[in-house]
Amino acid sequence: MSALIVTLLSLSGITTLLAVLLVLADRIINNYGEVEVNINEGKKKLKVKGGSPLLFILAENKIFVPSACGGRGSCGMCKVKVLSDVGPILPTEEPYLSPDEKKEGVRLSCQVKAKKDISIELPEWLFAVSKFKAVVERITELTYDIRELRLRLLDPLSIEFKAGQYVQLIIPPYDQVKESVMRAYSISSPPSQKDAIELIIRKVPGGIATTYIFEHMKEGEEIEFVGPFGEFYLRPTSARVIAIAGGSGMAPIKSIIMDMYEKGIEREIYFFFGARSKADLFYLDFYDELQKKYPYLHFIPALSDPKPEDEWEGEVGLVTDVAEKYLKSLPPSDQEGYLCGSPGMINACVKLLTRYGISEDRIYYDKFA
Amino acid sequence: MKQTPDYDRVQERMKPGVITHFGFLGSDDRKLIDIILDDEITVRKLGLTHKKIADRLQYFYDKAEHAPGSWVVVDDSFSVFVDDTRGYLPCPFEHPGLFPKVNVTVVNRKTDEKITYSVLSIHLIREHGFYQGKGSPFRLEPRDIKRILEL
Repeated sequence: MSALIVTLLSLSGITTLLAVLLVLADRIINNYGEVEVNINEGKKKLKVKGGSPLLFILAENKIFVPSACGGRGSCGMCKVKVLSDVGPILPTEEPYLSPDEKKEGVRLSCQVKAKKDISIELPEWLFAVSKFKAVVERITELTYDIRELRLRLLDPLSIEFKAGQYVQLIIPPYDQVKESVMRAYSISSPPSQKDAIELIIRKVPGGIATTYIFEHMKEGEEIEFVGPFGEFYLRPTSARVIAIAGGSGMAPIKSIIMDMYEKGIEREIYFFFGARSKADLFYLDFYDELQKKYPYLHFIPALSDPKPEDEWEGEVGLVTDVAEKYLKSLPPSDQEGYLCGSPGMINACVKLLTRYGISEDRIYYDKFA
Repeated sequence: MKQTPDYDRVQERMKPGVITHFGFLGSDDRKLIDIILDDEITVRKLGLTHKKIADRLQYFYDKAEHAPGSWVVVDDSFSVFVDDTRGYLPCPFEHPGLFPKVNVTVVNRKTDEKITYSVLSIHLIREHGFYQGKGSPFRLEPRDIKRILEL
């Protein structure tokens, strides 16, 4: 009996010893000490504790690389150019990197850990990205499933952005949602409004963020967002603007048009806005008024499935078909495309615009998540 | 069947509030592996494969993708409506890539029966044989798919 107890005690002792050794080994092997993150050839140098993913190191130092999945390696958005050797590309990165990106050293910052000194290159605009605290000043129902939020800034008190860019709203935990989540929404207000931003948000059935926004968010509550992000903004040319959007895709186009109007930009704009029936349309009065003040703007709403009670006298059909009708009859001119909507709509619009001579590199849209 | 720790982690990600508000499991309290195996048996009994089902779901999406927000008649027998919003969802199995937030509704014009599925659902069926848990708003019954989509 005593031999059995001794054996059991010995085994327990050995197990405990092994566990202690493993913990110690982990601390020694995985202790990378302080490492330096050198950004843009020394423009910024961060001294950080080594071992963490680059995405989180940068965020802790208020450099916010866009990420839709929060660092899970499933969105492929958090790309940065790594100039030093950080080991081979991981299988988790492989699907998101093109051959050119691999050659240039582009990596997913959520997958690359800073285990030793590391040099990276970031686009300059990323340094303008900040975290903002704001108060929900106003919630306006635009349609039965689209809301406009006006967020007045609390800290910092103002924001600089280009018309067309987006922010990532931080939705706090609620109900069964245990962790905060981030979702991207385009700013609909013009950049001249620096103390507040407006967002246009469509309810997504079962969506974590929009369920919060439509069922829990109240005027007066505080909320945080990170931004501005995005490469979707008006290019400084004299080309005619062909803008096509549907639903909440209205947001960045509205910001761009307001900005053009305020700056007195003399460029023709044809803005095709697609909706199903009149119940899905909004801002009609706003655009009626704006067209009177800004004759370069042509706002063309199109209903794909108007109801008899709509008594709709405007354009009927798919927004791409309506846009094509106009493109056929417009006098020849240099043109650029500005699109905002779902991937399906974007694909259909790109096909249309390229058929009418707009090359793909002059068709702009955001692929944000 | 015993579930691997990997599937335990996937099942955690399928709970409400992680990827979507309602999650992927509904009121189903079975292990993920059992949900998948039970559907696998049903699909085989129906003489189908996950690929055939996913291909059929994809077919209707491809036919109507160009006309979001409008009904599109497909092969005279079906009406298809694509409802899409901006944004993407990740696969709960952590498969690489993101899937657009697109819901597809197919109505069989002969029977007036309809089925609604997401683009993510097509991937979940094709790659993982996962039709979601009982009671999930996006649960797809293989028998319903076969009957309504005339497979």
